[in-house]
Amino acid sequence: MMTLLSAIVQGRRARFPAAALFALVFVLSVTTARAGDASGSGAGSAGVASPVEQFSEQLEAFQKSVPDLNKTIQDSAGTIDSATDVAKARAEIDKLRETVSTLLGAVSDNGPVSQLGVKALDHIRNKLKTLAQDNRFKPEERQFLIDQWRKLEAQTEGATKELDDARAQFAGLLQTLQDNEDFIGELLEIRQAEKALEVIRHLTHDIRDASTQLNKLIGGIKPPGA
Amino acid sequence: MRRLLGLTAGALIVGAAIAACRPTGDVGYVEIKTVPVAPVTQTALYIDAAKLAPIKKGGAILRQPTGTLKLQADGVAGSLAPLCDIVVKRNRITTVTISVLERPPRCQCRYGGSDVAHACVS
Repeated sequence: MMTLLSAIVQGRRARFPAAALFALVFVLSVTTARAGDASGSGAGSAGVASPVEQFSEQLEAFQKSVPDLNKTIQDSAGTIDSATDVAKARAEIDKLRETVSTLLGAVSDNGPVSQLGVKALDHIRNKLKTLAQDNRFKPEERQFLIDQWRKLEAQTEGATKELDDARAQFAGLLQTLQDNEDFIGELLEIRQAEKALEVIRHLTHDIRDASTQLNKLIGGIKPPGA
Repeated sequence: MRRLLGLTAGALIVGAAIAACRPTGDVGYVEIKTVPVAPVTQTALYIDAAKLAPIKKGGAILRQPTGTLKLQADGVAGSLAPLCDIVVKRNRITTVTISVLERPPRCQCRYGGSDVAHACVS
């Protein structure tokens, strides 16, 4: 699923150090761009590519979290299958739902990764428009730059398409977990009903005992002269 | 040394700003499907007062704070026409299908919605 994501991420990975916090990545990218400007090497390119860089960083972080999800799903599925304790199964589903929900949050339409993807694509398309009207370059140089940006556009589109797939997959998974949870909830209700039935049986038994005792007592009462 | 301090301070400020912008508390998801499916839905939709980005390819999944949200569309004379309520629960997804050909658009809930309150639940 994530092959194209890997391609784009790995292609962009070398520029900035990986950082867990988006904030840190943002600050580092700005700082690096400024350092590039100050030294006069690579001025412009570092700043221009910023939305694409940010998208790549977010994709990378997202990708890293997916293998954990697969493991969690496998572990939980095993536990749920073998669990006879309904409450435990429900807790497993809760835990799994939390994990899937976190991932869905990243790739949801208003989530950080998707938003960065949209920004990155907008940036590339604006760059292509600007380049088409830019007279600073020779025709062959301009064509080369346009080709490079188009290649990046195709890769970014591919990556966002895979995000769409991931979104649909996580949403489907969350829906399935909800449905299963509802089923487990029903099992829990059956168990509660069974407990209630057991209590009623005990009560009935006790009432019968009491009734027998009472009958014996009544039967034992003999009026004088009888 | 001064540069390092500046970098750390910057990271803290931006980190704090991002943390402040994140929705606090529990979140869930709203899946909006539009029929008929179009590359981009022209009908403007709102969750409470917030206008949604045009829905592409007939579907969108949005992260929302938990609670009851009001789904609305553009009505007459610039007012908003309420379509239905959506109940968002923690780590759950509530699916609603909107028929955009009707005026005003009509809500169809996957679960719920047949009651008077017309609320979609997960």
